[in-house]
Amino acid sequence: MAELADKTNLHIKPQKRMSPWAVARRKFMKNKLAMVSLFFLMTISILSFLAPYITTADISRVNIGSMSLEPSAEHWFGTDKSGRDVFTRLLYGGRVSLLVGISCTMLIIMFGTLIGALAGFFGGLVDTMLMRFTDFILNFPLLVFVIVLNAVFFGKLGGVPVLIAVISVLGWGGVARLVRSKILSEKENEYILSAISIGSRPSKVILKHLIPNVLSTIIVQATITFAAMIVVESGLSYLGFGVPAETPSWGNMLSASREPDVLQNMPWIWIPPALTLIITILSINFIGEGIKDALNPKSLR
Amino acid sequence: MKNMTDFPSQAPLLEVTGLETAFEIDGELYNAVDGVSFNVKPKQVLGVVGESGCGKSVMSLSIMQLLPKGIGKIRNGQITFNGQSLEKLDDKKMNKIRGKDIGMIFQEPMTSLNPVFTIGFQLAESLHNHFKLSKKEARGKVIELLDQVGISRPERVVDEYPHQLSGGMRQRVMIAMAIACKPKLLIADEPTTALDVTVQAQILELLQGLQETNDMAIILITHDLGVVAETCHEVLVMYAGEVVERADVVTLFENPKHPYTELLMRSIPRLDEEEEKLASIEGIVPSLKNMPRQGCKFVDRCPKAMEECRTITPRLSENLPGHEVRCLLYETSWNREGMSAK
Repeated sequence: MAELADKTNLHIKPQKRMSPWAVARRKFMKNKLAMVSLFFLMTISILSFLAPYITTADISRVNIGSMSLEPSAEHWFGTDKSGRDVFTRLLYGGRVSLLVGISCTMLIIMFGTLIGALAGFFGGLVDTMLMRFTDFILNFPLLVFVIVLNAVFFGKLGGVPVLIAVISVLGWGGVARLVRSKILSEKENEYILSAISIGSRPSKVILKHLIPNVLSTIIVQATITFAAMIVVESGLSYLGFGVPAETPSWGNMLSASREPDVLQNMPWIWIPPALTLIITILSINFIGEGIKDALNPKSLR
Repeated sequence: MKNMTDFPSQAPLLEVTGLETAFEIDGELYNAVDGVSFNVKPKQVLGVVGESGCGKSVMSLSIMQLLPKGIGKIRNGQITFNGQSLEKLDDKKMNKIRGKDIGMIFQEPMTSLNPVFTIGFQLAESLHNHFKLSKKEARGKVIELLDQVGISRPERVVDEYPHQLSGGMRQRVMIAMAIACKPKLLIADEPTTALDVTVQAQILELLQGLQETNDMAIILITHDLGVVAETCHEVLVMYAGEVVERADVVTLFENPKHPYTELLMRSIPRLDEEEEKLASIEGIVPSLKNMPRQGCKFVDRCPKAMEECRTITPRLSENLPGHEVRCLLYETSWNREGMSAK
């Protein structure tokens, strides 16, 4: 009898031992769309960040001899109106776009989580003050602010770090609200009370008990923010208020299509950055969706 | 089973005097606990009974200083634990006592454990909060604790997640967490309410066993008189934030004085008596806002209510040595005093 019990136990052991994270990882791996997206995003990222090792062409030198060339063996995606290789610029552009996206996302998530967690956990006056501040930030017009700062700092400070700082400082409001609402409902659980009752400090309760329990929401929000930030960067750069024009970014490359001549007759200049941008953002969203499904205990997949 | 030791000679471990805990509703303060006083001696098991909403849990949260911030607060009274006034301590100092000197078990074992961490991790937290231990030492101690609370295969359970355990096992883990640092006082807030009857008995037995081996005092909060009869030395009966009767367990069960206690006793299901319907107490505890300001708070539900009960507020008075009751029926002096007050 005991032997039988032992055997059944052994049989179910590997399944039962899995942590919630391991279960989520397995669910995610089974999601084909998300996996393909992840693969694509990784490829783009690796190619972009290894750009200096992949191509040796100079990205900013104007080359009068080879202006507006159609795609060929030498220039895979052709050249733009200044004679610069589009493929090379695409890779270097990805570097800037992804860097801006990742940095902004990390800063926004960190700051938003911090503010939201403090407001949600402590409540009362702390909550009121932090949330009114958040409302103020949310009401701040990002575009106007960026344009003004751009005018003020033009040429004085490096473009990319300033852009990251400005977007992050104004972008954390939504995350803070979301995290606060999650923390508010999570802190009602008795395990929070029991954690306090064994003498855990508030910092420990927030970091060890509350944040891990709202982490799934934060991760999903991070992917959405990542996609949104790439769009924001591209949009600003397209308008000429983002990354300095001489630095390649997907938005800057797209801005070439503002000329009707380029838009109509030279699709190789703007289609590559446009397509890459679309597929990247789609991938990030699919990954986010995949993570959401994987972390949702009720999903059937 | 019950160890009817006499406690009067010992100095109390916990002394609560005139505790008033209030909640803010629409900008006004209403007392959820209204002038409660009692002592707990070392190694004593004190039962606190009363129906839902009578302030039992609020009282225990007050002792632990775990009241919801900004809504509930202690208005009056002293809570002295081991010579320290708990109500005056700030959160930092209180954190040193929580879990170390006073442990607490909650009602809902299903939600009292953090779902994203292993049992071992959560139990170790209690140890790490109060002692300097290496991870390995903590793990050894955790396995020992799990064994102590009667969990078989503790080496395996230590790496399992809360959702893999049954309610009874989770409550055992909660108990292990509360007693990890060998507290002198354990507050058990309805520890068996959410469990089924067979498991209830096991948990109570476990608590009793731990009380003896660890030499700790227990405040057992419950609405189940059966639980009280089995485990407690002394009993407080609470109604609407007040203590209405206090006696040792034998006296209380043999000779309940307060009409509320009598009714509670009558509503215990008995197998030896054939009754069609289980007795119940009509009505509910008045809400904090509708609490009568004068007279006895139980008057509307009391079968023995008199005219005077509405106007004269009864005091908790010693009816017999060691047996206190808050009821005009047993207050000999009310007539004269009541008259002179008018």
